[in-house]
Amino acid sequence: MKGVVLLITTIFTVSAALQAQGEYAASKIPPPLLKNADAVLRLEDMQFEIINTRQTVTKYRYVVTILNGNGDHWAEYSDYYDKYRSIESVEGILYDANGKQLKKVKKKDLEDLTGSSGGSFADDDRIKRHNFYYKAYPYTVEYFSEVITNGTLFFPRWVPQGGERLSVENSSMHIVCPRDYQFRYKAFMYNREPEITFGKNTKQSTWSSSNMMAIVKEPFSPLWHELTTVVIYGPTDFELDNYKGTMSSWREFGKFVYSLKKDRDQLPGNVKQMVHQIADGVSDPFEKVSRLYKYMQSHTRYVGIQLGIGGWQPFDATYVATKKYGDCKALTNYMYSLLKEAGVFSYYTLVRAGEFSKYITADFPSQQFTHVILCVPNQKDTIWLECTSQTIQPGYLGDFTCDRPVLLIGEDGGQLVNTPRYGINDNLQSRYIRGVLEANSTLEVNTKTVYSGLQQDEIHSMITQLSKEKIKEVLDRKLDFPTYSIRRFDYQEEKRFLPGITESLGITVSNYASISGKRLFIMPNVMSRYTSKLSIDSTRNFDIRLNREYRETDTVEIEIPAGFESESMPVDVTVDSKFGRYNCSVKLEGNRLIYFRSLEHRGGRYPASDYRDLVKFYDAVFKNDHNKVVLVKKDGANAF
Amino acid sequence: MKTKQIIGFSLMYLLSVTVYSQDKSTARFGSVTEKDFTPKVYSIDTGASAVVIADIGSSQIEGNTKGWFSLVFKRYKRVHILNKNGYDVANVEISLYSEGDYEEQLEKLKAVTYNLENGKVSETKLDVKANVFKDKINKNRVIKKFTFPNVREGSIIEYEYTVTSDYLHNLQPWEFQGGYPRLWSEYNLTLPEFLGYVFLTQGDKQYDINTRKDGIESYRVADGRSIGPTDRVQFTASVTDYRWVKKNVQALKEESFTSTLGNHISKIEFQLSEYRHPLTYRRIMSTWEKLAEELMQADYFGLQLTKDNGWMRDIVRPVVEGAVTPSEKAKRIYAYVRDNFTCTNHQRLTMDQNLKTILKNKNGNVAEINLLLTAMLKNADLQADPVILSTRSNGYTYSLYPLLSQYNYVITKATIGDKAYYLDASEPGLGFGHLATRCYNGHARVINKEAPAIDLNSDEITETKFTSVFIINNEKGRLIGSMQQTPGYFESYEIRNLVKEKGQEELTKGIKKAFGADIDISNFRVDSINKPDEVIKIKYDFEIKDEREDIIYLNQMFGEGYKENPFKSAERFYPVEMPYAIDETFNLQLEVPQGYVVDELPKSLVVKLNAQDEGMFEYRISQSGDNISFRSRVRISRTYFLPDEYEMLREFFNLVVKKHAEHIVFKKKK
Repeated sequence: MKGVVLLITTIFTVSAALQAQGEYAASKIPPPLLKNADAVLRLEDMQFEIINTRQTVTKYRYVVTILNGNGDHWAEYSDYYDKYRSIESVEGILYDANGKQLKKVKKKDLEDLTGSSGGSFADDDRIKRHNFYYKAYPYTVEYFSEVITNGTLFFPRWVPQGGERLSVENSSMHIVCPRDYQFRYKAFMYNREPEITFGKNTKQSTWSSSNMMAIVKEPFSPLWHELTTVVIYGPTDFELDNYKGTMSSWREFGKFVYSLKKDRDQLPGNVKQMVHQIADGVSDPFEKVSRLYKYMQSHTRYVGIQLGIGGWQPFDATYVATKKYGDCKALTNYMYSLLKEAGVFSYYTLVRAGEFSKYITADFPSQQFTHVILCVPNQKDTIWLECTSQTIQPGYLGDFTCDRPVLLIGEDGGQLVNTPRYGINDNLQSRYIRGVLEANSTLEVNTKTVYSGLQQDEIHSMITQLSKEKIKEVLDRKLDFPTYSIRRFDYQEEKRFLPGITESLGITVSNYASISGKRLFIMPNVMSRYTSKLSIDSTRNFDIRLNREYRETDTVEIEIPAGFESESMPVDVTVDSKFGRYNCSVKLEGNRLIYFRSLEHRGGRYPASDYRDLVKFYDAVFKNDHNKVVLVKKDGANAF
Repeated sequence: MKTKQIIGFSLMYLLSVTVYSQDKSTARFGSVTEKDFTPKVYSIDTGASAVVIADIGSSQIEGNTKGWFSLVFKRYKRVHILNKNGYDVANVEISLYSEGDYEEQLEKLKAVTYNLENGKVSETKLDVKANVFKDKINKNRVIKKFTFPNVREGSIIEYEYTVTSDYLHNLQPWEFQGGYPRLWSEYNLTLPEFLGYVFLTQGDKQYDINTRKDGIESYRVADGRSIGPTDRVQFTASVTDYRWVKKNVQALKEESFTSTLGNHISKIEFQLSEYRHPLTYRRIMSTWEKLAEELMQADYFGLQLTKDNGWMRDIVRPVVEGAVTPSEKAKRIYAYVRDNFTCTNHQRLTMDQNLKTILKNKNGNVAEINLLLTAMLKNADLQADPVILSTRSNGYTYSLYPLLSQYNYVITKATIGDKAYYLDASEPGLGFGHLATRCYNGHARVINKEAPAIDLNSDEITETKFTSVFIINNEKGRLIGSMQQTPGYFESYEIRNLVKEKGQEELTKGIKKAFGADIDISNFRVDSINKPDEVIKIKYDFEIKDEREDIIYLNQMFGEGYKENPFKSAERFYPVEMPYAIDETFNLQLEVPQGYVVDELPKSLVVKLNAQDEGMFEYRISQSGDNISFRSRVRISRTYFLPDEYEMLREFFNLVVKKHAEHIVFKKKK
């Protein structure tokens, strides 16, 4: 009973506050919250009510004060709806600096837009959007929305600070559910227990936070949940469409995903025949998988169609076999079916894709995935297959899916394992350059560069997705020379487990060196100059997270016009730091300039106190990469 | 914004290649034979991933049952997909116009994929019922889309469809060129004499076939909308059949310094101009004067400017209070609109809300904002008129024809005394009398009684940048200096935005990084940062911290030089369209470092871009005692160059980059 009273009091207080004029006057913001802030979240209150496993209701109110133009994006309301999710009502209010109400809008005033995006060909996403587009700063907007969701696979998360330069005055999250329903949560940077109150048949858990100062991100910052409060929630029992599942463990969640794809692996007779034609008699398991994978690659293409349950359930193998296209789920399931026909077992595998999305809460099962790949267990090396690419090598995963926990889906449920990590011995770039410097300071240069691992991803995309003409257009633009023309170019792929590409270029660079009067200035590092430079922030607050590991080597030999001797040569440099190792050296042998460089860049996590050292390391690389050799006409020789 | 959680949202590698919708050949639907698969490459473009074998369209007019006429557009297209990179042509989108409950009708869609299997042609048909998807983009646009089944390298795909439209002004244009090469591109048009259209052609006008033939057609019009018996009319009318064919059309290429590829595509467009006998004569496309008059009477454009806006006086009065001169009043009103209203759409010619609503909502599209500005100026008894134009990315306009559909932007012309000012209050950082570069696209039209044409020519705006540096030895024998720089208006605009978004430190960081020597910066100041009418002025002092070696090599541009040729590519297909002319001067007075002597100075030179002196590069350096004077000036006073002139531009900047990289060499006194 006490709980009910408390609940009513809360509601009463909130609505009373709303009625009071000027409640949201900008002057009432506690001064510390203005520091580094473009906007202040004055009040946020989300109530997620689990009616039963078939339906939830989300009531969401937030009030945000925009302090300047950079904070305008916080003032926009945008939410999606589809077959399972309906936006019941929306109310928006605009207040001026003094908290005086200027305007009010309802759901019918909102824009209604398609939610289809780049990777998708057809889906049923739509968006409701609204913006007051006010710009007399500071101003305040308030939105209240009620959303009904059918199904309970997706739970909201509570992230009071939705991004940097946003401070928070008060934010709270309530989960309301039947007394006997168990939901789960995992909190980051929040060390209190939720407050529990009970209604007649319901239980309410509340998390709240206030007076959170705005965060300013720093280069190589850790993940957001390591910087500020984030609580994620997940169901135990849940439903989606007519499918039921439980999320108490990865194993259980896996069973649910399995039920969606179960019995979708029948292939038409002609494809079965083809499978046997390709695979029968091939004894080496990797070879067998490779051949079938290449068949799949050359007979299908990616088309993203996700309608209704299609956002979760793959089209069956027959669909892909006849249409010859599908999204990641359909193509992966198709590949799974091809392998199955050939007697090879594989796992349909959920992954959270993206170069910067390597994180999964391993100890907290919940829906965090965005993509599907295939995992083929093999005695030697597990074979990973990305089924949406028509060109990638079997066994190789790029930045999109490598080095992270993924969920293998088997008949007996899910299992979390890691995809391969490509390290400093895999991600390589070795470059050999021979050049002739003409008397008019034009450099005729021939290069050969061998890329491997993640270092070859970008070039792989370029050469497999663009025509020769387009590759030439890219090369004409992207090289770091002032004026140049590409004489010839060639790419050879080494199709192996860890793929490699050899690039050969012939380039004519105008005025590569500067020959003025009696001197010649030339940068011996022709094509591998480090381009970014960090600046030292006054104080570093967060740990440093360095993502990629790689190693580069350069060997350069340039023939220069006769009659020069060295006047100023950069000294040999070796920099050793915990972030990597750099060295370079240059010498003049007769009329040949010989340069060597290597850079090892390590990944990992480092304490904030190391930041100065990191800046120093990058600075040294930057500076030495741009060093010039100065040569001077030998006595008696004629100046140009 | 919240993102929906689904699996399959992400595609491994996604490269977007624009699909242009287009034309045809001698091919007919269903006539694919084995030998059509023979070519593996086509001589027109040996690197092409797909080749359009035929793209054939036709438009004609038919009587409908709503008492009027409809446009019937038919299209047939066949494409040979040569490799994976051409798969994007298998995804087809058809855009339909809609208004309220009415939507243009897509009918008779057929799509078939052909593959060669064991030497035989196999067909896979698109299941039109189940696999055509509809996406409502906004209230006036619906997209129907489908993808071909069973597509692989070497597939031939073909489709045809009909779109019926009740909008006679929506006679489909035809683009003869697109992202893939076309062997045959054809458009047929049958026009009855009772409808007049103006033809607008662009790009290469050499057609392989260009014919017209006169004939007679009969038209049946019924009106079944009213209660009672249906009205029916049948009549014959003279018609003209037009046919345009282009063969072997190259794919479009993307290049830098092009306002829009749309300016270079070979295409033909149509504009409804009049109704003629036996219809009641009506001029649809009028003269500029008439069009301007209509616009001024229209509630979605000028009507509210001419009305007596008594309520507006209450808004205008406090804004201009205390302003004495007309110019002062105009500036106040301009700043008020610019600073208090947000532009939500920068491509719009008409108003969707009335002035009162805009004032209340504090936002509007570019037409609404600048029409509000015009209204407020008029209300303050100033002379002001709206001006319509087409932005650079929207393509050129024809000054000859009053074709509203070509225009997508409204600005304001204010006349104070005998001086005209062009104003645009839709950009927060823009100053009085300044327009963004996108507005300088040639012909624009003032909407008033006389409707005069004006020319907003990019040749007439010059980015003038002036930098001056003084460097002397301080008492400790170190080089210290001061820098003063006045960038051009557009660069000032960009710097203002940078400082607003990221703070002034971002600017100093950039300067330090580019400087080329290790420096300490002090007394950093940016003047006029909050005066968008003016150019900014950057001032700072610096001390060079580099070690004193026996020889000092000094690049005396201090990070201000050209390090890259803006015209990198060795080839050029389309004209160069630069946003403005440039005139950049760098002056330096430098004291020889203490204890050093000059060993070598770069050579001075002056070159002209061409005989007409439409550009020049001046590089002068001289020494007098311990003082070195240096000056670099780069001027280009033309903004439009033909592909023939490209090499000249490229060589000019090649020389600028070369000279800007040179050094002064000092040697320690022995």
